[in-house]
Amino acid sequence: MKMNLKKAIVAVAAAGAIALSGSVMAQDKAASLDELLQMVKNSQIAENKENRQREAQFRKQRANQANMLAQAEATKKAEEDRSARLEQQHKEREQDVQAARQQLDDRLGSLKELFGHLTSTAGDLRSALDSSIISVQYPARTEFISELIEKMNSETKLPSIDEIERLWYELQRETVEGGKIVKFNAVVSDPAGNKAEREVVRIGNYNLLSDGKYLTYDVKSGSLNELPRQPGDHMKGAAAIQQATSGFTKVGVDPTGPAGGTLLSALINSPSIVERWHQGKLVGYIITGVGVFAILLALFRFVVLSAMGAKVSRQLKSNTASEDNPLGRVLKVAEENKGADTETMELKLEEATLKELPRIESGLNLLKIISMVAPLLGLLGTVTGMIVTFQAITIYGAGDPKAMAGGISGALVTTVLGLCVAIPTVLLHTFLNGKAKRIVHVLEEESAGLIAEKSESK
Amino acid sequence: MLAMMEALAAIKAFVASGGPILYWIAALAFAMWTLIFERLWFYKGSLGKIKAQTVDLWEARGERKSWNSRQIRKALISRAASKINQNLDLLGTMVTLCPLLGLLGTVTGMIEVFNVLAVTGGGDAKSMASGVSRATIPTMAGMVAALSGVFGTTLINRIAERENHMLEDQLTMDH
Repeated sequence: MKMNLKKAIVAVAAAGAIALSGSVMAQDKAASLDELLQMVKNSQIAENKENRQREAQFRKQRANQANMLAQAEATKKAEEDRSARLEQQHKEREQDVQAARQQLDDRLGSLKELFGHLTSTAGDLRSALDSSIISVQYPARTEFISELIEKMNSETKLPSIDEIERLWYELQRETVEGGKIVKFNAVVSDPAGNKAEREVVRIGNYNLLSDGKYLTYDVKSGSLNELPRQPGDHMKGAAAIQQATSGFTKVGVDPTGPAGGTLLSALINSPSIVERWHQGKLVGYIITGVGVFAILLALFRFVVLSAMGAKVSRQLKSNTASEDNPLGRVLKVAEENKGADTETMELKLEEATLKELPRIESGLNLLKIISMVAPLLGLLGTVTGMIVTFQAITIYGAGDPKAMAGGISGALVTTVLGLCVAIPTVLLHTFLNGKAKRIVHVLEEESAGLIAEKSESK
Repeated sequence: MLAMMEALAAIKAFVASGGPILYWIAALAFAMWTLIFERLWFYKGSLGKIKAQTVDLWEARGERKSWNSRQIRKALISRAASKINQNLDLLGTMVTLCPLLGLLGTVTGMIEVFNVLAVTGGGDAKSMASGVSRATIPTMAGMVAALSGVFGTTLINRIAERENHMLEDQLTMDH
């Protein structure tokens, strides 16, 4: 129904367009309706004449076409004959080639086996040379070997004695160079990407060093790069060996050397403590912040409580009550209420003690809360880290332990941070709480006794 | 001498497989037991003198029934108690810290395991074993230290409580 409607609209539009163009034409040539009628009649007559002419032409051409068909068929026949002839020729030639090959095989005899060995040796050597760091010193060794292999694989060429000897020479050179420590100049790019020609020390085919830095050899691009992070103190000596001329020098050697020093870079890729700390992400930073705050608070309270404790013990020894310590202030209250009866006195003392308590114990509860919250925060970080890990599993699958291991170690870092904050905070809280308790004890249980003793001694 | 060296070597091997956290646990356990022995030493030795002094001070008083006397008695008991209860809180905290340190060792060991996993790709179970032993041995050491501490601190707490009570009982009020 809809289609029909569409068609109808298109048809109407087309009709409209035709009518419009017709009217435009009529306006061009005809001045009146009669004139237009005359013009239409004339053109009809002209068209009829034209059509008749065309028909005659077509008839004439039909005869021509039959002629052409006959000609094409004749050409096809000729080509088919030629194809059969060439095929026959090809078959004969192939037999010749077969015979020639047979002859070659016969004549090669045991040499064929030799070439097989040569090919496999050359292939092995090519892959070894590709990844060997000795290639830095002697570049473009593998092109010749590739050529040789190509030659031996082709059926039309044979390697020459010279080339076979060169293969032997390269093998020997690789072995001899692998046992040497040599200096040579090469282009080295540093971590910032600047390239410069520098003196490079090569230790066998294990390590490359330059200016006291360990280098890596990128097999694909053939470029020498400084390791972005150099190994720690236990691998020092890279500079010493470059300056040494004789004797023994300690230096780190990567036993996986021929493969391009993979162990060294793997060791260096394991994160440092600061990087580990960053793995904790937001939760890690929060825990660290809380921990720093706790330690500062504890230090502050330690100073305050130590001063207070010293003043209280001085007050215990002296006879005059001074305003600078809690015990002194409590005793002062007692002095001011000398005449009061015991019950009033007790109440006054209690009130004065209660007034002092917040000042003594301030911050201690906060410390305790931090010591309990820090491991919980660590747990939070662990769980969020595990969520990240499981997301990685759902995306990449469980096949890649590396993708998961990063997230997991990140999750564990927060636990470590939480514990590292909690353990000292618990200790500090206990320590400071003990200090505060001692002062509170003196205030609560000894102040009244002190007053009693004083009143008796008078 | 030889036996001692062997024992030392065994300890070294144990620490090497358990990681540096073991030193912390050992230090904590050592401090804890030092405090426990110090307390025992105090209860067996100088506490008697302090108690006798306190009782003598009390008995030397002319009267023992007024408000003044009551306050003075309280102060005397408090002074002695603060000496008896010294470090008890710290001991309790140390006992709770031992397993926490063990847990810390566990987690750092696990990080090592996952680090090896990230570098080697998990193909080499042997290289992960050192991390696993660093994860498990500190836990065990922390537990052992905490358990031993629980016995010590319970003993000390009970003695302290008993001594406090006895002192209070000895300072009698007149009626």
